[in-house]
Amino acid sequence: MIDFFKYRKLSYMASSFLIVMTILFIFFKGLNLGIDFKGGFNVEVRSDLSNQELTNIFSRIDTSREVIVKKEISSNVYSVRIESGIGDKLFLDSLKESVSTLTNIEILMSEYIEPTFSSDLIQNAIYALLSSIFVIALYIWIRFDWQFAFAGILALLHDVFISIGFMSIFNVEFNLTMIAAILLIAGYSINDTIVLFDRLRTLSSEEEVKINLPSMINKSIILNLRRTILTSFTTILALICLVILAPVNLTEMPIVFIFGVLIGTYSSIFLGLPIIHALNYESVLKSRDS
Amino acid sequence: MNILKKWRLWSALLILVFCYFTIKPNFQNIESANKINYGLDIQGGSSFLLELSEDVFKKNLLLKIVSQLELDYDLNSSINNDQIEIDNAQDLTKLTNIVMQSMGLTLNKKTESISIIEIENQFFKKSISDMTLNAVEIIRSRVDFLGNKELSIQKTGLNRILLEIPGSLNQNVKEIISKTAELNFHIEKNSYVDTILLENIETNESVRVMERPSLTGDYIQDASMQYDNNSPVVSFSLNKAGADIFGDLTEKNVGKRIAIVLDGTLISAPVVRDTISGGAGVISGNFTNEEANNLAIILKSGSLPTDISIIQEKQVGPSLGKEGVTKGIYASIIALIAITIFMIAYYKVSGLFTAISIITCLLLLFSLMSLMNATLTLPGVIGIVLTIGMCVDANVLVYERIKENFLNKSDDPKNSGFNSAFITILDSNLTTVFAAIFLFAFGFGPIRGFSISLIIGIFSSLIVTYIILKLFLEIVPIEKTGLKIK
Repeated sequence: MIDFFKYRKLSYMASSFLIVMTILFIFFKGLNLGIDFKGGFNVEVRSDLSNQELTNIFSRIDTSREVIVKKEISSNVYSVRIESGIGDKLFLDSLKESVSTLTNIEILMSEYIEPTFSSDLIQNAIYALLSSIFVIALYIWIRFDWQFAFAGILALLHDVFISIGFMSIFNVEFNLTMIAAILLIAGYSINDTIVLFDRLRTLSSEEEVKINLPSMINKSIILNLRRTILTSFTTILALICLVILAPVNLTEMPIVFIFGVLIGTYSSIFLGLPIIHALNYESVLKSRDS
Repeated sequence: MNILKKWRLWSALLILVFCYFTIKPNFQNIESANKINYGLDIQGGSSFLLELSEDVFKKNLLLKIVSQLELDYDLNSSINNDQIEIDNAQDLTKLTNIVMQSMGLTLNKKTESISIIEIENQFFKKSISDMTLNAVEIIRSRVDFLGNKELSIQKTGLNRILLEIPGSLNQNVKEIISKTAELNFHIEKNSYVDTILLENIETNESVRVMERPSLTGDYIQDASMQYDNNSPVVSFSLNKAGADIFGDLTEKNVGKRIAIVLDGTLISAPVVRDTISGGAGVISGNFTNEEANNLAIILKSGSLPTDISIIQEKQVGPSLGKEGVTKGIYASIIALIAITIFMIAYYKVSGLFTAISIITCLLLLFSLMSLMNATLTLPGVIGIVLTIGMCVDANVLVYERIKENFLNKSDDPKNSGFNSAFITILDSNLTTVFAAIFLFAFGFGPIRGFSISLIIGIFSSLIVTYIILKLFLEIVPIEKTGLKIK
């Protein structure tokens, strides 16, 4: 039998390293903010032209605007992002007019978001994230103990934060869909952690067992190991199908989520339960026992 | 037969019948309120998020109050920033608390000589909200007149309006929704007191008129595009009150010019030749057919009480969504097959239970979405694929717990295993549902579609696990489930 609990110092170190890396990347490289959070234009086009040719065509419409062209995974669809500037109101019309003369570009989707509106979206996203974390914490606290709530939320924040770091490293466009992905990672992470918490609760309530938190933790992990791996595996299997066959402009979401599943599986095994031990839950159990 | 006594069997059949009848309308070409809607990203179409300016609305509200104070109470006041200043030397006793409250205002002494009147915050919020609801109706009728019948329009937040139009977009929509359409008639006055000079750069026409409009577009009852000497003009008719004012106005000002001003721009300034008593008039001014038609539409729909701007617009062509849905369906089918193969290889017969559970779960998901008239979007398709994952997880948890109880030599490994696993499933799924509910509450656009299908999906997965999976475990002896460890 593997002693998972023994590796907790190693996992604390690994996690700290990943968190520091994330901070460095966000600080120095930043996030590739999409128009949802920055305002501007996003146009999805189907074209056989090269990235450079498309950049030239779209830059010519208004030379003062920055244009970023990106090819979507496994298709001839490009996402063209154009920054917001003076004369936004008429820009989309003039863009369509100048593209309509070209036969080798087909506009699939066009979108404009006013910069002031995007700050509202950021605010809402933060509210959504904070309030759902709060509710999750409350629920765990009611169903378990505050130590569980604390450990669960810490593991969740760890997963969410490192997933954001992943997006920064691989230059994934950060938009509203990614907020959904992040909340999903949060949901998956807490889901995974709670299954283990539940096991620990059951073990610790069995009367004949002598209180020894480290061995209980280890037993919880081992008893659930097959489930943890199987679930992660089948979820990733479904997600791989999505990566290959996702709607063109949504390919990045399942990729980020696959990463989230991996990091969530790791944190539920190596972080969630050991943190409960670190919060001196053993004394709580012992006082309850006596 | 013992099997017929199981309530789960009957519930399972009931679920299937329920699914059949609720999903059916989606495949029938009938008008039904209980169908799945397809989001604009799937069926193609345009959406606009409009914002009504709070600042301009406040300014207009203050102007109205100033003129009301002058007309009803004979008080002179002036606007300074967000407040109205009023000289204490005047008789302010008329402005009792009750009067002020009924107008949603507060009166406070600022200095010995000046008092200030402010709009109560709550009253202002309510006014904005009412104005937005009013604007929804105005914009609905404008877009309606252009011939877009299937539009959906709703107020979101305090002062925003979400307009969604499926199908290809009439290019005039953008033009007519972003116009305030404030029409004013000003009488010519050759003096420099209380007058303004209006100019039309295109026609080189200019006229000096009274600053205050003598008639506003609020009285317009109907308007339409017509031709006058082969050039398009807009004819309008006024309601009774408007016709009286207009008749009186034209009678007193024969020979003078009357400036027709739309949103602060002079359109034309014809000379009043005779008294116009019927309340009908014509606006001419170098229009194209389209411009005249748009003007007629916005005039008969009424003017918006403030400035309006488009803060988000999205236009999706039909091919993107179709491709997305086709791919999403393929992804779901392939994921289903891959997971089924894996589960059967790993759990033998029980793997087959999982496959049936997943299919029932998806059926229930579509059935509930139809019943709720929910909107399916592309991110929603991703949510559905994840539902498959959730459903499989529930199965794995149950199977593993049964195997474990079997090893521990429990008396009834199937039942005790299922029951203890179901508590875990409930706990973990409920936390995800809570997170998803908050996502829905605060979310916008893609996030909402995603959280809706996730919430309904988890709910379906719980029901299917509790009824269908448990049913299989009850009726199939444990030796045949493949969960027995030798």
